[in-house]
Amino acid sequence: MQCANMLLRKIVRSSVLPFAAQHGMKKDLFPLSRTLSLSLSLKQEKSCEPSEKLDLDEWKKVMKSGLQEDVSETVSEPKELSSLAAARETLEMWRLAGRAVPENISEEQLKTFMECPSKSAKKKYLKYLHLRELHKKNDKRKMDEKRERRLEAQDQASNTDETKKSSFICVWSSTMDKAYNWRAAQSMIFGQPLVFDMSYEKEMSLREVTNTVRQIVMSESCNRRSVDPFHIHFCNFKDDSLYHREFIKNYREAWGKLLITVTDKCYTEIFPKDKLIYLTADSPKVMKTFDHDKIYIVGSMVDKSIKTGVSLARAKRLGLETAALPLEKYLLWSTGAKNLTLDQMMNILLTLKDTADWKKALEFVPKRKYCGFVNKPVKELKKTLDLMKTLKLRKGREEVEKQFAKNHPKKFKLK
Amino acid sequence: VQPPEKPLQAEEWNKLREDFQLPEIFEEVMLNSMIRCNSPIDVAKSLLTHLAKRDGDIAYNVLVKYLTLCVQQGQVSEICDVYDIMKVRFKILESGAYNLLIKGLSNSDQWRMALTLLEEVKKIMIPSRTCYESCIKAASCHQEMKLAFELYKEMLAKDVVPTLDVLQSFFNFSRGMEGAELQKELFGILLYLRENQIYPHKTFMRSIKLWFESIPGGNWRGHLTSIKDSGQCPVCKHQLEDSNLTEEEYSNLSERIIRDVIHGTDTFRKTSPKEFEAFQTFVENRLPFDIVIDGLNVSHIKSRKMQCENLFDAVNCLAKENARLLVLGRKHMLMNSSNWKREIMKEMQNKADFFFAENISEDDAFLLYATLRSGKHCRFVTRDFLRDHKACLSDSLTRHLFRKWQRGHQIAFSSVFSQQPAFRYDCVVQTTGDTWHIPYKDVFEEKYSYEVPRKWLCIQQK
Repeated sequence: MQCANMLLRKIVRSSVLPFAAQHGMKKDLFPLSRTLSLSLSLKQEKSCEPSEKLDLDEWKKVMKSGLQEDVSETVSEPKELSSLAAARETLEMWRLAGRAVPENISEEQLKTFMECPSKSAKKKYLKYLHLRELHKKNDKRKMDEKRERRLEAQDQASNTDETKKSSFICVWSSTMDKAYNWRAAQSMIFGQPLVFDMSYEKEMSLREVTNTVRQIVMSESCNRRSVDPFHIHFCNFKDDSLYHREFIKNYREAWGKLLITVTDKCYTEIFPKDKLIYLTADSPKVMKTFDHDKIYIVGSMVDKSIKTGVSLARAKRLGLETAALPLEKYLLWSTGAKNLTLDQMMNILLTLKDTADWKKALEFVPKRKYCGFVNKPVKELKKTLDLMKTLKLRKGREEVEKQFAKNHPKKFKLK
Repeated sequence: VQPPEKPLQAEEWNKLREDFQLPEIFEEVMLNSMIRCNSPIDVAKSLLTHLAKRDGDIAYNVLVKYLTLCVQQGQVSEICDVYDIMKVRFKILESGAYNLLIKGLSNSDQWRMALTLLEEVKKIMIPSRTCYESCIKAASCHQEMKLAFELYKEMLAKDVVPTLDVLQSFFNFSRGMEGAELQKELFGILLYLRENQIYPHKTFMRSIKLWFESIPGGNWRGHLTSIKDSGQCPVCKHQLEDSNLTEEEYSNLSERIIRDVIHGTDTFRKTSPKEFEAFQTFVENRLPFDIVIDGLNVSHIKSRKMQCENLFDAVNCLAKENARLLVLGRKHMLMNSSNWKREIMKEMQNKADFFFAENISEDDAFLLYATLRSGKHCRFVTRDFLRDHKACLSDSLTRHLFRKWQRGHQIAFSSVFSQQPAFRYDCVVQTTGDTWHIPYKDVFEEKYSYEVPRKWLCIQQK
């Protein structure tokens, strides 16, 4: 046991090597003598106590032991750290302290980290990287497990070695792709146009643009797989924009082969104005039915810091008709913003186009955002919902009201 | 987990660890609960000794936890020992450990070492405000006021916001000290409160009062009082600064409101250029107004009454003494409906000017514009706190101007139609050289940002 400990200690010590030189330098700067004398006197006190069998300061000896030797062993000179290296060093210490920090960080990420304007921005960015790293690790582990299972299954299959006969032809994904592409190509000629307005780059941060593009990629694939796809237009699309770069990252060489229309023109230049309807959650008008002759426009924007009225302003400027989904009319809304992701929008529009069934279409609204679907007028149900909410929050609400009444005697009333 | 009361032997720790459901994090959880229970330091030591014997090393996070316990109990020699170990074992430390070390050392006779540590922190990051606080308090506690002020200025230069606690400690520790330089620095802190519209709380106010009264040969006397609505101090009969902005501030503010609040990134977001232009000509032709009313806001004061009746009452109440009124509303108010009766609307339009914006436009922006354009005497009526508009202003200086202007010009209606007058005097720390007037919060924290304190400290030199 003792031997093993010594060995361990040796290993630890060797990893300390580069730090030791630093220590040699600092030693002159800090008055160590005082500490020594103080702790010595303390130890003497301790040893006087008869009941004490433990040497409580032994851990210090362990931590300090060996360091003296290391100082003499090292020859390397202490160098001034570059800012990047210093940042890396700090990150490492944060990781040791148990903060949410990624284990590996690339040069580029480190630079982004250092450019973060505030401490909280830095923290957020690190947490994001940390979580992404965790996800990646988990995915990899799952992949490996799957592969192993598959190999096992293959082994068993080769042992039995029995050919199965089937009356169906196995349809491979490439064949499916061909079928989908055929439909998409048809939609390019005969399909109803659907416009993604790509003019929001300035309103978004890098992360938001990345998210937007990912959502559009998902929408595009939903569209391709549907029975009767839209003819997708990317309007106001600038080459070499952030959008463009992100699309290429997502699609790689498939970007040039997509069966959609990409243009730097505005939708008002391509389509007659009276046919256009801009879909925005801020619109005062509520969509009643899906019109197969109209051209719907969806703003390609993810706004994490909710920016109200940006897309409504765009539609106002161009004098276009606007519409919002009738979420309030059909759903008993509970929490969350009324703006939906682009792929949810796409699914809703596709379902409306095929079935004109609001209930089916609004299935794609995330379940957490609403309590249920309604056929009765919402006003009646709203009362019940409010009642439910007050019942749920009564305790908290009462306290708030009491507090409020105390602070503002007869001045204001809570709405 | 309940931490043990006495130091344990290695075997005992092992047993505890085995009984714990997640043995990997046993040490961490145990130390956390020791910190929570403020366990004797020897118990923690015995755990560390056990760890050191088992692994030959102690992890950084465990050391930091132990350090937390030491700082909590003010075990200075232990703090020094941990620091010695850490600095040899690791090239640099992270902010958490530095915070703890500085906090721990600054409370002891080793406080100068905290300053050296602060220098070390500065090499790799901007020190946190707790770091600065500890160092400043330590320096001023040892009567090194010059050093304390240097740190304080450095802190401000780095945009680290000091807490009221630090500011208060300056006054506490300077009590009875002589020196024109020191006096100037402390006046500087009071001006800092003024510029940032910060109100000291009661205990802080007491520190200020005691310091003033302790200045040798200063002959300062402080009294607690409350200011009359007229803005006169009952103690020294001095008239407080009025709430009006200077010409420059005023034009600056109106410019910024038009730029940031009404136009913003896109004029179409709140109104449209056409509508705004129409509104501008409307206002220019009828200037100046005395009171601008947010029609929709006022119409909701009493929920049981019809909305137009509420507005009608308000207009009647304000229309005395030939005041020129402007009511802002939206187009839907003109449609005859159960809430908006056409006859009443007609009658009101005889008494006041009306402007109806599009239903999707924001009328608050128009309210601000019309009031500012009418001039300094013009006030406005709404219960809205206008926080969203204040937030549109890009820098804090203009936001402060906005708050000041708002305090002086907003009339809030309560449900019984008694007016809550706008303040005539400015609620901010102020001086004339031989007097100081300092508003303070009665309770330590409880004050909403829109409220202003009614209690004042009046200090005058005899």
